Amino acid sequence: MTPISARSISRRDFIRLFGIGTGATILSGGALIGCGRSGSGNELLVWYWGEQEAQGMKQFMERAAKSYAEKNDTPVKTVLQESDTLYTAFRTAAKSGSGPDVQFFWGGTQALEDVWMGNVAPLSDNVPKSWLENIPRQSRRETFWNGKQWGLPFYQIGTAWAYNKKLFAKAGLDPENPPETWPDFLAALEKLKALDVAPIGSGFKDGYLGGWLISYMGDQNLDSIDEAIAVFRGDAEYSGDKYTEWVFRLKELIDGGFLNSDILSIDLYQGQDLFATEKAAITNSIQPQMVNWERSMGSDTVGVMLTPSFGSGTLANKASTPSQVLTITSFADQKEDAASFLEYLHTPEVMKRMYEQSGAVAPDKGFQKDWLNANIDLQFAEWASERPNFWYQYYYPFPFEREGVTPATQMLFEANGTPQEAIGMMQGAIKDWREQHPEQVKAYNNWHLLD
Amino acid sequence: MSSLKKKRTLNFGSGVITPYLYIAPAVVLIALVFAYPVVSVVISSFREPGLLGKEHFSLHNFGVVFGDQLFWVSVKNNFRLFLTVPVMTVLALLIAAFLHEEIRGWRFYRSVVFLPYVLPVPVIGVVFSYILQRNGVLNQVLAAIGLGQLQQDWLGNPNLAIWSIWAVIVWQQLGFGIILFLARLMGVDSSLYEAAMIDRANWWQRFRHITIPQLASVIEFFVIVSLLNMLSWVFGYVFVMTGGGPSNSTYVTELLIYNTAFREGLFNVASAISAIVLAFASVILLIRWLVQRNLEDSD
Repeated sequence: MTPISARSISRRDFIRLFGIGTGATILSGGALIGCGRSGSGNELLVWYWGEQEAQGMKQFMERAAKSYAEKNDTPVKTVLQESDTLYTAFRTAAKSGSGPDVQFFWGGTQALEDVWMGNVAPLSDNVPKSWLENIPRQSRRETFWNGKQWGLPFYQIGTAWAYNKKLFAKAGLDPENPPETWPDFLAALEKLKALDVAPIGSGFKDGYLGGWLISYMGDQNLDSIDEAIAVFRGDAEYSGDKYTEWVFRLKELIDGGFLNSDILSIDLYQGQDLFATEKAAITNSIQPQMVNWERSMGSDTVGVMLTPSFGSGTLANKASTPSQVLTITSFADQKEDAASFLEYLHTPEVMKRMYEQSGAVAPDKGFQKDWLNANIDLQFAEWASERPNFWYQYYYPFPFEREGVTPATQMLFEANGTPQEAIGMMQGAIKDWREQHPEQVKAYNNWHLLD
Repeated sequence: MSSLKKKRTLNFGSGVITPYLYIAPAVVLIALVFAYPVVSVVISSFREPGLLGKEHFSLHNFGVVFGDQLFWVSVKNNFRLFLTVPVMTVLALLIAAFLHEEIRGWRFYRSVVFLPYVLPVPVIGVVFSYILQRNGVLNQVLAAIGLGQLQQDWLGNPNLAIWSIWAVIVWQQLGFGIILFLARLMGVDSSLYEAAMIDRANWWQRFRHITIPQLASVIEFFVIVSLLNMLSWVFGYVFVMTGGGPSNSTYVTELLIYNTAFREGLFNVASAISAIVLAFASVILLIRWLVQRNLEDSD
């Protein structure tokens, strides 16, 4: 038999082999590429999140997609994303230039970072200016940059402290009037400690709590949002009482033993469960979650309070009702249809249905207060009309939290952790960010806040 | 000329190229799946991000990485995890040698020690997260047996958390080494041990002068694979058990790559970190190749 190496190959065999190989390569490559976009024709693809914090959101979105499709002859496919893959899946899709037409983001800089990466198209280029005026400026401000509106505030998430009225009463505190000043707050926490529950329950193992703490407490000596972001533009130093008194106040809470002892070894949601099981008197929480507790534990048990004030700035009086946003992606084939769907989500009947099905409140002047049916929702609506709206986490760059706020505040829980060290870590994080991300510094310099 | 229709053929000279044509489709596919991502990551690592998606080529990303304190924390932690390798190697050798003595029930013990290795890492991470919590099972057991003074915040103390992960990794990965060494030991000629016993060699002498040399190539393989695992297969443990905290004390390079790429959206900087890790892994493989060549030469 002739050795293979000495054989000639027929032209037909060569073409057959080459064809098989090429076909296999194309098929496998095509299968990989095809995963990026599902749907076909003029179907609008919407990737969103929200079931995790506003239960019923999935049902609402599916119904909204169906009714929009019936009215407009444009099929809409909605895909609920997981928390851990919300950004990873989108940014991978954006890199490949193929993915959703509409994308959900957590608000503020957590959406603007994708704007700065070129992944988002300006909303204001695709909807009428007059229509945008229906959305309160305080909500639009979070994703307004370089003269354009990029994100549509989808639903607001009032953020404050939930407290247990019954435990307050048991500790001899007024259950309807939680403390509003810092000294009163510390005194209340001492009384709650005597009840053998954690005065404040939370979890910090997963690192999320850092952003909450600075957003609750870090702005109390600031007079404006512009002051808050000045440190990132390089116009101010992150030091002094103006920016850092909150670190000392946090250390007071830790040294006083007012937080659960296992806070560093449990996740945020596990810590919040301490409140739900009445092992903690106070916890950090968001509006939909508090409303759920109000409904399950009773409005005579669950109340909501703002962070007691220790500062003298205008923002010490704030109530936080930041918004999660929907955006039109820069690679969307059907930007007009995407804009039309977003406008549809802000029609009165749809906003009312969203509240009824998920408890999520749309930040829109057309949202009627008499639709609200929970005390906590009514309280947030009252605060929103009276107080400035600010959530610090939506205005700083993520590396500041990852390399500054989170490790610094976790370090404070160590016996020898000092506020000065924590402040130093945060200052270092800002310095490193400015050196390592000049394109983001440029973006901050182009950030002129919506008045 | 034959009356048969002349077959048109492609004749590639000596025909040496023919086998390569047969394997070409598979090579193309493998190159696409393995080589393309590596080349793509290396190219990405040189792309400097600009505002609104504009990019240009530079060493900026490497500057960002080397200037990032968190990168050095991650590298330090990976080196700490390298310390699991000598511990696992020694323990696995001893246990394998012990099982090789075929004590009563050795097959059962062999299954038991291998069981952790087959468990999924996320499952192990979740379970040990509960065990090692400040109010978790371990501390409760310590208190119950009168050793309450040994209680620690195993995952919440920045000085302890990485070592807690270290211990979990040893617990899980040890089984692989035991099975590997035991399998090799079963192939060792028993007459070597018999001859040694005739010469009145004790257990330790047999272990040192017969077992270890016979297992040399397998030990080298296990060490290199374990080192590579500590560099690029510990993400699951850290992500589930601590998320890199507390105070970033348990960050490893894989987690840094993941967070940089997907939490911060800095794919190019993440590519630079990946390229650095790839270079380091290549050094480990080069060392392996040199050691293997040495072993072959000495044979």
